[in-house]
Amino acid sequence: MDSDRYLRHSLIDWFSQDEVRAARIAVIGAGAVGNEVVKNLALLGVGAVDVHDFDRVEIHNLTRSIFLRESDIGASKAEAVVARARAVDPRVELNAIDGDFWRTLRLSSLARSSAAVCCVDNFEARLRLNQMCLVAGVDVVNTAIDSRFVTVETFPFAGDAIPACFECHLPHSAYQRIAERYSCGWLRKTAYAERKIPTTTITASIAGALAASAALRLGNARDHTARRIFFDTLRGVSTVTTLDRQSECAGCGTFARRPRVIAAGNDWVRRLSEATGIDAASSDSVLRLSDALITDYECASCGDTSGAASHVGRRAADFDDRITLCAACGMKAVRVGIREEFTAEALVARFDRVPPPVKYALADVGGAWICLDFEEEG
Amino acid sequence: MAEEVRLMVRTADQTRKAELTLGGASTGGEIIQAAVDNWALPADTDYTLVNTTTGRAVAPGESLAKSGVKPGDVLEVQPVLVAG
Repeated sequence: MDSDRYLRHSLIDWFSQDEVRAARIAVIGAGAVGNEVVKNLALLGVGAVDVHDFDRVEIHNLTRSIFLRESDIGASKAEAVVARARAVDPRVELNAIDGDFWRTLRLSSLARSSAAVCCVDNFEARLRLNQMCLVAGVDVVNTAIDSRFVTVETFPFAGDAIPACFECHLPHSAYQRIAERYSCGWLRKTAYAERKIPTTTITASIAGALAASAALRLGNARDHTARRIFFDTLRGVSTVTTLDRQSECAGCGTFARRPRVIAAGNDWVRRLSEATGIDAASSDSVLRLSDALITDYECASCGDTSGAASHVGRRAADFDDRITLCAACGMKAVRVGIREEFTAEALVARFDRVPPPVKYALADVGGAWICLDFEEEG
Repeated sequence: MAEEVRLMVRTADQTRKAELTLGGASTGGEIIQAAVDNWALPADTDYTLVNTTTGRAVAPGESLAKSGVKPGDVLEVQPVLVAG
């Protein structure tokens, strides 16, 4: 029966059903493009698809999302998409992960994927997935659309050399746009109004087709060049652009080679000491954390520090700018210290042997970077 | 100082085009900013620069000389899309 189902595929000389069946693809974002990517992967008979999304279905999603219905409104997007995609090909393993991938997707899980497809709607998530895939050595396909244009970028991190990453060609204005959404650099502004970008199923479906093909490396299994396809759906023309690595890139510029991932978990101090050859408890090695942490919390108006216990040592991303309102005097005057870089000694002093509440930390050990994976036990 | 090059700059929808002579030290970011200013492109969008003749992107901090731009090349200002 399987051979009948995939009969037409078997007639294509550059298409290997066995390779497609062996693939496991992580789809991040189950919106317009994510629906199309999952649809194409399921139709192609891929081995497994893990669909990540924290969002709920809204009625305006229904004009662009092939798997969503009015009865799904209010439900998890990831679960609704997976439930219907299962009917496309019951042989495909489909998993719904209802949550923010930054919280739910471990580096070790991502490393078991053949590729990740980024179908999110903001730069922050794109930067994070780009960094995770670079460290994990997993190809990432970045997709984005508006009402007319489509972008599908392939960053083949699974190869030996590090190619250009998503940040290599990201304009400075994109970082400024991200910064506008945050107070103190890290606290999300509650009053910030998100810009609504109109899209249609036309651009979403083209993005989904190109992305599924790129994720499975259909027809170009040995290509390790970072590329961008830019498609104009009104004129029906596209440009294919090679993306060269940039030595000053904020995302990958410091890495000569991919960081070596060390499962660190609760044994992180010993693992770090082994990797550096120095007792971590007294080491001035700098660790760059995957998430910024709150280090200080004091009201500049009344000097109250009673909120420090519930804020210091936690991830800045867990809060928004309302925490600058002092509980004692009512003034919006709390000074919140936030950092993402610490010496190993400072981290040990703050957290003892317990891992800090972040995904991972990067450290330069004599020019060779290591990645301490705090979510995975050694 | 790097040599000047005469080339074409256009928007992705090709509604705006200009033949320009630019210094080789001009960066991708500077050319994008000039395009946004002179053509009143939407300021709430980010842009990237692509040399469609060679098929290579010109990074924001990269000079035309370093990126290997030649006289007659066509540079396209493409929007950086973010919706999904």
